[in-house]
Amino acid sequence: MKELLTSLRRTPYQTLSAFLVLFFTLFLSVALFVSLSFLYGILGYIETRPQVTVYFQTKTSEADIFKIRDEIDKSGKVLSMRYISKDEAFKIYKNLNKDNPLLLEMVSADILPPSLEIFAKKPIYLPEIAEFLKKQSGVDEVQFQKDIVDQLLTLTSILRKVTFVFFAFLILMSIVVLTTTTMFKVALKKDEIELLKLLGATNFYIKKPFLFESIFLGFSASTLSFCILIGLLFYNSPFLGSYLRGIPALALNLNFYQLIVWPINWIFLAVTFTLSSLFGMGIAAVASLFATDKYLKETS
Amino acid sequence: MIKFDEVTKQFPLGNTALEKISFTVTDNEFIFLVGPSGAGKTTILKLILREYHPTSGSILVNDLDICAKNFHDLLNLRRSIGIVFQDFKILFDKDVFENIALSLNVIEVHRLEVKKQVKQALELVSLSKKEHVFPAQLSAGELQRVAIARAIIGDRTILLADEPTGNLDPKTSWEIMKIFKKLEGKRTIIIATHNTDIVNSMQKRVLVMKDGNLVKDNRKGGYEL
Repeated sequence: MKELLTSLRRTPYQTLSAFLVLFFTLFLSVALFVSLSFLYGILGYIETRPQVTVYFQTKTSEADIFKIRDEIDKSGKVLSMRYISKDEAFKIYKNLNKDNPLLLEMVSADILPPSLEIFAKKPIYLPEIAEFLKKQSGVDEVQFQKDIVDQLLTLTSILRKVTFVFFAFLILMSIVVLTTTTMFKVALKKDEIELLKLLGATNFYIKKPFLFESIFLGFSASTLSFCILIGLLFYNSPFLGSYLRGIPALALNLNFYQLIVWPINWIFLAVTFTLSSLFGMGIAAVASLFATDKYLKETS
Repeated sequence: MIKFDEVTKQFPLGNTALEKISFTVTDNEFIFLVGPSGAGKTTILKLILREYHPTSGSILVNDLDICAKNFHDLLNLRRSIGIVFQDFKILFDKDVFENIALSLNVIEVHRLEVKKQVKQALELVSLSKKEHVFPAQLSAGELQRVAIARAIIGDRTILLADEPTGNLDPKTSWEIMKIFKKLEGKRTIIIATHNTDIVNSMQKRVLVMKDGNLVKDNRKGGYEL
């Protein structure tokens, strides 16, 4: 550790440039990772919501609603349906606005419309179901979420592609700058390296201090970028909270695990920090090994 | 044992550093390699260290043919050789202890063993009190002692010294030679020098080089420029 800090102190400009490049890369990477996680979380949440919601006029009787429900059911295009009566709607409303007594006072179960939440077997059936519902008497409004899902899917797809290109550029830029700074450091220590080779040091022994230094820089840069970004996330959490009001949780559905993204929790923070640290240390290590390998090959 | 058999070394631009050199150095022998600048003394040392590859001929070091195409034991070869340079090659950002310990650290010797062996080496070169002094505070003679300590530590059976007294005054040069004398019989020692006074006083075997040729192998010691 002493040698590592001495080496960093002796090459302040190379160290600073390497650190800043790593910090920049990791800050943007963590920001993109958090944004993508939230976006996927929102997408996942919306996909679990009813794909078609039909609100009936308050005067429509339950018998008429059930008749429509049975007709849709007979079509064989529906996966499941859920009827929400006026009373249930009022319960949901009360739960959503439990902190706002004024809003609760203004509303009663009578003015809330009964509704049907419908999940189609395939997305292609959605327009057909929505059209059928619009033609029925007693129907007030049909909410059809396909457009929202499609827009989110498009947005996620674009963001994923942009992130990929951006990541590739950031990684390339970081590796080039880190390789160059490591080469400077190697050149400064060329006498020591020559001596070590004559004393019988292995290539790994020679590479080790440069590797540790890079890993240390990668870890420091990732820690700082993570702290700043998480600070910003916490600072903006009241705004996010109001924006995501009514959504109990956003989750990233991995094949083997469901990672809760919102509300902010320590598992999500730990995963973000671990990935960012590994990424930072990884690119720093690759650049260091590339630079030292090149030098050792040229001088062997 | 070190054995050169018809060794020639030509550099890419065509100049010949050594031409069909043959000699044998037995285990624990003490020899001087003498001759004017450019005679090929350093080239011989670099060939033993396998820093250079001969153009033709063969070199055996401790029964290993280091010129063989299938030679893959460079690390062990270098770990058996200690080297002392004219310009000391001391690392100025490390103290005396750390500089000497480098020889053992590269072969990953345990920390406690390193401490023990470095202390012994420091005693041998009379630098026990300067263990944690940095090289910038040492005289040229003391720097060369550090270099010798670094070269003899561990199981290094061969000691090569390339003009070890080249940068030193006569008094200090003699002090350095006294250290080499103390090491005699414990390892093979090859000292490249053109200091006639030292070579003639020590009365050791002398290999005389001139223009890349071995012109004399004087087993009784002594030579004239």
